[in-house]
Amino acid sequence: MSKPRVAFFDFASCEGCQLAIVNLEEAIIDVVGLIDIVSFREAMKEHSEDYDIAIIEGSITRPMDVERIKKIRAQAKILITIGACAHLGGVQRLANQWTPEENKAEVYHRHPGGTEHTTDANKFFNQPRQRAVDEVVKVDAAIPGCPINGTEFAKVLLALLQGKSLPIPDYPVCVECKKNENICVFELGKVCMGPVTRAGCDSACTNRGHECEGCRGLVSDPHMKAQTDVLEKYGLTADDILRRKTTFTYRYEEEAQAQKGGE
Amino acid sequence: MKILSKSGFAAFVNALIQDTSRDVEGVKAKGPKFVFGPLDSASELRLDYDVTILPPKKYVLPQYENMMKFDIAQGKMVMTEQPKGKIIIGVHPYDIAAIMQMDKFYLDTHVDDGYLARRKNILIIGSNIQNVSEKGFYGAMGTSTVDSGYDLFITDLGDSYAIDIGTEAGGQLLGAACQRDATPEEAQKAKSINDGVAERSRRDLRVKPSSWHDILKKSFDSPVWKEQADKCLVCNSCTLVCPTCFCYDVTDEISLDMNTGLRKRTWDGCMLRDFTSIGSGEVFRENVEDRYRHRFNRKGMYLPDGFGFVACVGCGRCATQCVPDIADPVNLFNKLAAGTTALLAEKQLAPVGVSDLGAASGKGPLFVPMPATMKRVDKLTEDETLFEIGLDNGQPMNYQPGQFVEVSVMGIGEAPISISSAPGRDTFQLVVRNVGDVTNALHAMKAGDKVGIRGPFGTGFDTEGLKGKNLLFIGGGLGIVPMRSFINYVLDHRDDYGQVTILYGCKDPDALLFKDEIEEWDRRDDIQHMRTVDTCVEEENWDGEVGVITTIMPLVTFDPANTIGVVVGPPIMYRFVNKSLLSMGMPEENIIVSLERRMKCGVGKCGHCQINGIYVCKEGPVFNYKDVKQHPEAFE
Ligand SMILES: Cc1cc2nc3c(=O)[nH]c(=O)nc-3n(C[C@H](O)[C@H](O)[C@H](O)COP(=O)(O)OP(=O)(O)OC[C@H]3O[C@@H](n4cnc5c(N)ncnc54)[C@H](O)[C@@H]3O)c2cc1C
Ligand code: SF4
Ligand code: SF4
Ligand code: SF4
Ligand code: SF4
Ligand code: SF4
Ligand code: FES
Repeated sequence: MSKPRVAFFDFASCEGCQLAIVNLEEAIIDVVGLIDIVSFREAMKEHSEDYDIAIIEGSITRPMDVERIKKIRAQAKILITIGACAHLGGVQRLANQWTPEENKAEVYHRHPGGTEHTTDANKFFNQPRQRAVDEVVKVDAAIPGCPINGTEFAKVLLALLQGKSLPIPDYPVCVECKKNENICVFELGKVCMGPVTRAGCDSACTNRGHECEGCRGLVSDPHMKAQTDVLEKYGLTADDILRRKTTFTYRYEEEAQAQKGGE
Repeated sequence: MKILSKSGFAAFVNALIQDTSRDVEGVKAKGPKFVFGPLDSASELRLDYDVTILPPKKYVLPQYENMMKFDIAQGKMVMTEQPKGKIIIGVHPYDIAAIMQMDKFYLDTHVDDGYLARRKNILIIGSNIQNVSEKGFYGAMGTSTVDSGYDLFITDLGDSYAIDIGTEAGGQLLGAACQRDATPEEAQKAKSINDGVAERSRRDLRVKPSSWHDILKKSFDSPVWKEQADKCLVCNSCTLVCPTCFCYDVTDEISLDMNTGLRKRTWDGCMLRDFTSIGSGEVFRENVEDRYRHRFNRKGMYLPDGFGFVACVGCGRCATQCVPDIADPVNLFNKLAAGTTALLAEKQLAPVGVSDLGAASGKGPLFVPMPATMKRVDKLTEDETLFEIGLDNGQPMNYQPGQFVEVSVMGIGEAPISISSAPGRDTFQLVVRNVGDVTNALHAMKAGDKVGIRGPFGTGFDTEGLKGKNLLFIGGGLGIVPMRSFINYVLDHRDDYGQVTILYGCKDPDALLFKDEIEEWDRRDDIQHMRTVDTCVEEENWDGEVGVITTIMPLVTFDPANTIGVVVGPPIMYRFVNKSLLSMGMPEENIIVSLERRMKCGVGKCGHCQINGIYVCKEGPVFNYKDVKQHPEAFE
């Protein structure tokens, strides 16, 4: 079997996910021996338009992004997204809850240093919405996380090469968190999105006593009603709850807009 | 009973740590909580702990465990070596009781030899409960003390430890460290310290454990389940932290050489949706309340039925870890009790008792498949392929029609598949529908390729007992696959059976399996046969009926009272067929069904296949309708 040709592309993102791959430990780098990387801006200069697997980082923002991602889709046999930006729109997607004008005002007027001149020149602010890749083109697989977990990336590549379904769990972070014998952060007076968030990060945050912010998106059957009740019980206001729900999971974007409209 | 000074005990523990033949694990602090973990020194031990986050089950059935390793190129599958032995210090009585339950479970019928090997190499040093946890109710469950299940048991007498020697191995471990025998007063003091815990650890449980069975039986349709389950996060924490929950999942992991790899098991739990999902899209416990109820039923009803003990030791961990606070058995049983005025019967419960680890032995590696080779691969339809397989050891498979095997594709996984050919040949046949990973990989195989086989497992059709009877076979879709083994057996021994009728229904003409054999059924005059398809395009070449299978049942002649109905098909089909047969006057005990469930292990360990308290892989898949109909999860 000839090695599949793989190309990496970045859109609106911090490139942290590509870095997570560049920084893969040596053992995992061997995965890379199983594929031919033909394009990877973070790690190499050459670039080729002939690839089988496209790996996409970042959210879709500008019209030119839409054109570019459609072209990539047409070329690639398999299109995989990496990271929360591509998977869900990323934290930048929070901007969708306000109008471009409101966002402009928030960034440039309320803070010293911003001038009218920058605002007008900055045409990017006139984009109506941040979008996840699968809102624009078909995505064959999404590796979630902000940033992605390098080991999971390697496992997904291996499964792809084996022709096996991708090992991305559909149970909540609590499962990994419990197996890791963490003290539940709820017991420490914090709150956590782990019960509704898709596992696979090996409960990276709660292992360190931090709250899970839900960067991997929701499991396929989240019990958001029960989760909301719990957050309320732990003293969160409706606003706080909504913030938790929307940080990474745009499924609640409309709910957020409605609540803001009602204020 | 022996006495050891506190410094003597510390020296004893430090000596155990120095001796590297076994890892020494004990209770340590983790922030404001406690966990079992590797000990660097006796001074880390916190025997004043209340409860640990995870129970010591993590040593006998680890969160992640290697079951076997494989080498695809060499076609080799072997058990992985067991890790070093362990000494676990500070185990409370309720956790000792839980380990005794696990021993019984894992060494029952099919001995899990990996578990046994590991378990034999674990020594348990129990400890009295110095501080009762907030949610613990072991006093009410009778597990605040144990009189066996440990190698050594220490009780803190204040200035010294009383040490009870539970086993010979424990005595040897203590060896010279032991300073002197306890005086009768000291022994009495140790006893009363332990006995005193019960009173402090009852909470307000209002239903005795011996009545859990009865109240659960009476409460199957109680509104409490849904009320509670609506608050459930479906996080599965309650089963993961429970010392008496031991269901697991299995996955294959290939290494970067794309050739070698490991088959692993990891904790799973019945609160998760995927636990009971099968290829046809059916999820047997789709509603959260079904899963929530199953967890309690398993503890209070199913395991007591199957093993004689209540599978809750009152550690209170689930209660602590459930954020919406609905997992606590004390609250749940009190709620159920508040909803009923009925007098509750008591179930006779047997003490768990110690398993004789020395005497237990398996029939060889339970989870390592036998190497086998594809002899013939024959595509039957777009999605179904027949595989004829021979074991590499040259032995024929010894099985009953209706039994199944676990087929392994190294690096991909394992799937339960019914044997489709009649017994008595050197090779056996499987017919597999392409639905997922393993079945996909099988479909890519050709003659000469290697697979792994475990089994045969489960119950088969009673070919002996049914001799002389009239048989009505009703097969729907893939149900014809296991049924064919029995049909062909009957046709091989035609004179031994009475009237034989075969009804077969499938989706459309293209989905029809075994076309050649069906033509043979048409030709034979010693059997009746009809077939039907759900849908059929007008111009299609189809000589059978059109309509669901129940529409052709009245079209054949059989005497319902004197015929055995053999029903195999997807859940949606057997629900209707069984109803029709009953309404036609077939007695319940004349209906034989084969039920499909999610399966992983095939040998009654992983928990996936349970219908209420029945392990389908072990007690089925072939059942008499009369024996399973009272189980609400079987047909509803
Ligand atoms: C006793 C028994 C006998 C069976 N006999 C046959 C047979 O003769 N021919 C045949 O084609 N199939 C048979 N099946 C079904 C077969 O086991 C599953 O289709 C197979 O395990 C799916 O494995 P996979 O790796 O290909 O799918 P996966 O990639 O694991 O999953 C694909 C889908 O199959 C479901 N699934 C996973 N495991 C099982 C399971 N153990 N049982 C049912 N669904 C599952 C999943 O929920 C998922 O929806 C039988 C099942 C049982 C329990
Ligand atoms: S998902 Fe997170 S880490 Fe990855 S590119 Fe986006 S912001 Fe960066
Ligand atoms: S810390 Fe978060 S992820 Fe961990 S168990 Fe608690 S709720 Fe679940
Ligand atoms: S614990 Fe939560 S926030 Fe942290 S990496 Fe995992 S999913 Fe993301
Ligand atoms: S059900 Fe709860 S209290 Fe009972 S043994 Fe399990 S975790 Fe402990
Ligand atoms: S711990 Fe509580 S919330 Fe989580 S699955 Fe169990 S009952 Fe539901
Ligand atoms: S218990 Fe594992 S399949 Fe039945």
